[in-house]
Amino acid sequence: MELFVSEGNPHCLKVLAALEVTGVQCGVQFISHEEKVVPFLSRPALPALLLPSGKHLFSSNTICRYLFELNGQESSNQCNQWLEWEATVLQPVLLRALHIAVLQGKGSEVSSVLQGSLNVLDQSLCKANMTYLTGEAVSVADVVLWGALHPVLSDSSLTLGDHKSAKAWFDRVAAMRGCQSAAQKVLQGKGLEAMKGYMQKQPAPQSNQGRDTQPCNSN
Amino acid sequence: MALRELASLEKYLGLKKPNKFSTQGDKKVPVMQNNNAPPLVGLVTIACHLVKEAKRPELLGDSAEGRAVVQQWLEYRVTKLDSHAKEDIKSILKDLNLYLQDKVYLAGNQLTLSDVLMYYGMHSIILDLTVQEKEQCVNVTRWFDHIQHQPGVRHHLPPVVVLRNRLYTSRHH
Repeated sequence: MELFVSEGNPHCLKVLAALEVTGVQCGVQFISHEEKVVPFLSRPALPALLLPSGKHLFSSNTICRYLFELNGQESSNQCNQWLEWEATVLQPVLLRALHIAVLQGKGSEVSSVLQGSLNVLDQSLCKANMTYLTGEAVSVADVVLWGALHPVLSDSSLTLGDHKSAKAWFDRVAAMRGCQSAAQKVLQGKGLEAMKGYMQKQPAPQSNQGRDTQPCNSN
Repeated sequence: MALRELASLEKYLGLKKPNKFSTQGDKKVPVMQNNNAPPLVGLVTIACHLVKEAKRPELLGDSAEGRAVVQQWLEYRVTKLDSHAKEDIKSILKDLNLYLQDKVYLAGNQLTLSDVLMYYGMHSIILDLTVQEKEQCVNVTRWFDHIQHQPGVRHHLPPVVVLRNRLYTSRHH
């Protein structure tokens, strides 16, 4: 098994953390953002995992889920739900937030973009009163959401408002050695700056998604 | 749309007691009431739960690797396919066509939930293709036609005519 990742790519943060947290044996190759690994995809897609059968997994949540399953931790309904929320709701919001913070240098506007998603996370953690997202043990959902939020939540220049439960959960997951080491490998201690090259290659977020939270951009 | 899909999936799975569904938010994300547990939210999450309820685990893949490939295409359905911009359709069809050139099903050697949900998600795209466009992604239309003819899968959707003989000769000649 071989895992292909690139520096400064936030999705690679998730899979490297999942790899370290689960302890699954797998080779890791750092390559450039533009390198094609999956033969049938016309656009480069990283991270990608080459399976023993020669097939590829080409999205970070599926790779993380697989690594946890190899480690004997099958994904529960609740885990599945967090992963689906992360991929369909949180990712478009994060893409917009990172675009603003990394490429436009307008860190002060990030907070309003992320507010809704952080509220969902905060309220859910507060209501369930659990240590981690799906219970008392770390699951794939924690690692995936931590990896997705790490670039914005660990940057002290961004002000993100008051989300006590979410912040406490984030710090708990971030304290795991696997997460720290993955963050170091992908972001090299450079924070948001490390993602510049990656973000420049991403399509600009669709403007209509921003209308409700960014009135200044809708004219 | 997602609710009709889930109702069709329930029928396909032979679930006798229909579940209670609703939607939330602008994007009409499906929500399923779940007896003694919190409601389930999200198309893939609910679909996987229904498959388990129907005791058809083979539809989620028959090995760890098979399950991962099924999940890969389920994730593709709700991220890439459901939020595609119009200009992305060509590259989606091109990629799928290349992927399916040596395959009968999306994952492994039998029908899985990924075929069913990708079929539902692809239906409106395939319906809009001209005969010539269909011929340019012949592996996709072959797969699509095969899935729509699987007993009990199609339900709420009209059949799409796929010609098995070429009308146009290759443009490169």
